[in-house]
Parts: sequence; C-alpha cells; structure tokens
Amino acid sequence: MRQTDVVLGIARKEFGDRLRNRWIWTVSALLVAAALAVAFFGAAPVGVVGVQRAGAAMASMMNLTLYLVPLLALVMGCGAVIDEKRRGTLDLILVHPLSPGEYFLGTFLGFALALSAAVATGLALSGVALRAWAGVSVPEYLVLVVLALALGAAFLGLSFLLSILSRDRGRAVAVSVLVWICAVFVFDLALVGALILSKGDVPAGLFGALLLLNPTDAFRMLCFRWVGSAASPLGLSAEMPAAPSAALSAGALLLWGVLPLLLSYVLFARRAAEDRLV
Amino acid sequence: MIRLEGISKRFGPVEALRSVDLEVRRGEWLGLFGHNGSGKTTLIRILVGLSQPSAGRLLIEGREPDREGWRAFRRRLGFMPERISFYEHLTGEETLRYFARLRGAGGERVMQALEGVGLGGAARRRVGEYSKGMQQRLNLAQALIGGPEVLVVDEPIEGLDPEGTREFFRLLRSGEGRTVVLSSHRLSEACGQVDRACVLSRGEVRALGGVEELSRALRLPIRVHLYPAGSVNGALEAALRRLGAVSVLKGDGRLVAEVPQSEKIGFLTGLDAFRGEIRYLRVEEPSLEEVYFAAD
Repeated sequence: MRQTDVVLGIARKEFGDRLRNRWIWTVSALLVAAALAVAFFGAAPVGVVGVQRAGAAMASMMNLTLYLVPLLALVMGCGAVIDEKRRGTLDLILVHPLSPGEYFLGTFLGFALALSAAVATGLALSGVALRAWAGVSVPEYLVLVVLALALGAAFLGLSFLLSILSRDRGRAVAVSVLVWICAVFVFDLALVGALILSKGDVPAGLFGALLLLNPTDAFRMLCFRWVGSAASPLGLSAEMPAAPSAALSAGALLLWGVLPLLLSYVLFARRAAEDRLV
Repeated sequence: MIRLEGISKRFGPVEALRSVDLEVRRGEWLGLFGHNGSGKTTLIRILVGLSQPSAGRLLIEGREPDREGWRAFRRRLGFMPERISFYEHLTGEETLRYFARLRGAGGERVMQALEGVGLGGAARRRVGEYSKGMQQRLNLAQALIGGPEVLVVDEPIEGLDPEGTREFFRLLRSGEGRTVVLSSHRLSEACGQVDRACVLSRGEVRALGGVEELSRALRLPIRVHLYPAGSVNGALEAALRRLGAVSVLKGDGRLVAEVPQSEKIGFLTGLDAFRGEIRYLRVEEPSLEEVYFAAD
C-alpha cells in the first residue's frame, strides 16, 4: 500500500510538472485550431470540399492526430530520465526506499496522464466544434479519441526508450524528431517506393504486415476499420484486401505501446543498478 | 553498522577504488577526505547503493543487502548529494513534501524540517528564487526529513562561506546519536567535526582513524612555538635540540621546534629549566591537513 502511495506520488508530481509545460498546450491548441479550420473551410487537406463534410472532417482529424500526437509524445517524453539525471534529482530519488521499477512506473503514469489530458482536451474541444458544424458522429469520434490516446502511449514508450539511450537532451530531441519524421513520412514513402519499384508485385499479406511495423499505420488501419466515415473521403473501403485485420492492427498498436516501454524499463533498471544511467 | 570489505570499483580502464576496507560505526561521524578524483564520491555512491562495486562486498548490519535489505536501509538513510538542482517551479514546501512522500515520512514534518533549517519564511517561494545557500539548506532539509539514523553527505560545505559552514554544522548536529558520513576536501573546516577521518588517495585508503591516532601512526611531530623573553639566541636553540627537537626553525622573534610524539612529554618537562628565558609557548598538534599530505 505504501509503495502504491510512492508510485502515485511520483505520478502526481510528473503530471503536474507536464501540465505546466506550455509546449503540450500549444500542440493541444494547434489541434483545436486545425479542427476549427477543418470545420469552417471544409476538408481541403484530404481533397474534399463541400461534400461528405462529416467524413472529410473525420479524415482530417485522423491525419492531424497522426502528425501531432506522436510529435507531442516524443518531444515530451524524451527528457524524462535525462532531465532528472542532469539535475541530480534522479540519484536523490533512487536513494529513497523505492525500486527503479516503482520510480519508472510512477514517471510513466504521470507523463501518460498529462499527455492524455492534453490530447483529450484538444480533441474534445475540436469534437464539439466538429459536431456542431460538420455533424461528425459522436461514437466514431470517441473511437478516434481512444485510438489517439493509444497512439500517444505507444510513442511515449518510444520516447522513454530514447531518453534512456540518449546521452543528453539535445540528442534525445534530435533523435525524437528523426523518429517522428520516419514514422509519419519516410516509412510510408518507402513502402510506396517499394510498391512502385516492384510494379505492385508485393504479396498483400506482406504489405499488410509491413504496415504494422509502424504504429502510425496501425493507428491508421484501425481508424479505417472502426471510424468508417474517415475512410470514405480518402477513397478507401473498410474492406481493403491488403489491409491487416482490426485485431491484428489493434494487437500491433498494443505491442507498440508495451514493447518499447518494457524495453526502456529493463534498460533503466539495469543501468540504474550498474550506475550507468545517461 | 556498515562495513566495506575489499571494495574496488572500475570504470573501464580507470580504477576508482582499490580494495577499500572501511567500517562506519553506529553513532560516529566519519569524514572521507581526499583531493578531487580520490574516490570519495564513488565510495559514497557505493555506500548508499547507487553504484555496485566491481569487487568486494558491502555489509549492512552484518549482511549483504538484497533488494528488501536496501529498501529497509534506505528508510533509515538521509542523503545529501553534492550537486543538485531542485525543481525550480516548485516551492520549497512542495519540494520537501515530494521527498517526504518518497521516504514515507508524514507531511506534517515538512514545515518543521523547513523551519529547522531556517527556511520557514521561504517555504512558499519557488526554489528557482532561492540563493545557493538556501538551496543547500533545502538539500539538508530533504536529507533530514523523517529523522534518518544515518546521514550521508557529499561535499556539503562546498561553496559555503565560513559563516554558512558553521551554520551548516550546527544544523547537522541537531540530531542526537545520528551516524554521519561526510566527504570533503576542505579539511580545516571539516576536521574538527568528525570522530574519525578516512584519507583517500587514488582510490585507496591511506589513513583511517582519529586525527591524533593518525598523526601518531604516521609519526607526525608536534610543533612547539617558543617566544623567548630576550632575543632569539643559539644557546636556546641548542638546548631545544638536546631536549629532543628534530628541527628548530627561527623567525618572527620565535623558535619553532618539531618534536616527535614519543619525545613530547620529556621535551615539555625539560623546558621547565628555561622558564626564565621563555616568555610564551604554544603547542601545535599535527593538523588533519598534515595527516592528509603525509598519507597522500
């Protein structure tokens, strides 16, 4: 029970610290501003103006989420361990009666809750506007919000891994931005390039499996499966033959949420024991 | 209470500690002295469990601590690291509340601890507005919160002026019967505070014991400063040599005789014969600095 208090105490402090950060609210506000633009000016970002307003709005929100949430999670979490180490507070914390695992869990919880609060706030305010002006479906929008939170958790786990592997904050931020560019742009371009080079002669199963190697694509696949209105303006059917199933996509996103976090925990605990953190 | 047996620590090709044997006794104040890079901080990190030795073992209450053993020890431990930058956006009270929670100490002790180090009036100010001295007091408050039995402080007086140093030791003395391990390279200020001193050099223990014990072990002479009633003359100098002085220095109207510890009583007794010729005398025991340099 007492150890639970300690974990919650760390989570509460980290949550409070993150909420004081202007960066996360800037991204959250950007999400709202973009949603308002989508509601007012149609869905130009996805090439649809004036028709299927709800679907176009959902597709736009899906894309915005896809770009902004990973960036927010990566930049937010990449300093998690480095900042504490640089300040000297990490050593002080670890000399208290708690295990590295408890510290790690509390920190991740705090970060995840703060990220969720920022993303949920941004999407909730956007949702109100989109419901009023574009008539988006509330249940579908809620699914998008839940998927956005899962996407954020996956990239937060990755950012913790980068935080432990990087020597200083500058490098951690640089690598985070690189990971974001790869996940959001380069990976899909590489897949398209491979398709072009092979003249489309890529087995559908392999193509689907490759998509799951990227959490943003797993998120996108789930949106196409579960947020039908987001798929239609993009000319995509929920029954794409090459796309992995919803269960596979959900499993992949879950694994992306769990594996980097688990790996970063193992690395953290090992390096803490060996006094090799950062 | 805490025992280190043959502790060595390597960082790649660098051997930071070499086969260190050391015991920290319950209730004592043990000083770790040495120049920068002598291994003090590495030893302290091993003592508090932040670092694992490459060889040797550490025993707490007679046994090697496992995970639960460390947890139990850390409930009784206060640690004051050398360099720390507290969360600037938190107030002093919020900072201490956080660390009190980590230690499982009640929140009601927070204000008491802040007042104890003279920060009661600044409790609601952000730590970012604190001066260096105030941050150091906050560092001490977090180490003292919950009344730890064992306090490990790494270079606590670094950067403090003499007044701040005196105040720091006054605050540190506030807990009765506490075991304190402190490291410092400022010998003159810290040596009067400790019961035993451990002099480290290049990762090895060069001397360990009370200052007098160490000076005896290292055969350091005492110095007797003699101020003659008349002018400094060769006869008195020769007499001092006959009484056992190994060297006699002249200057500033006085003679300084270096006398081996073994000859101390005989030398001082023999001076009685020169009562009329000596206006004033002062006996200087070897300082920790001398122990330090002799051991290095």
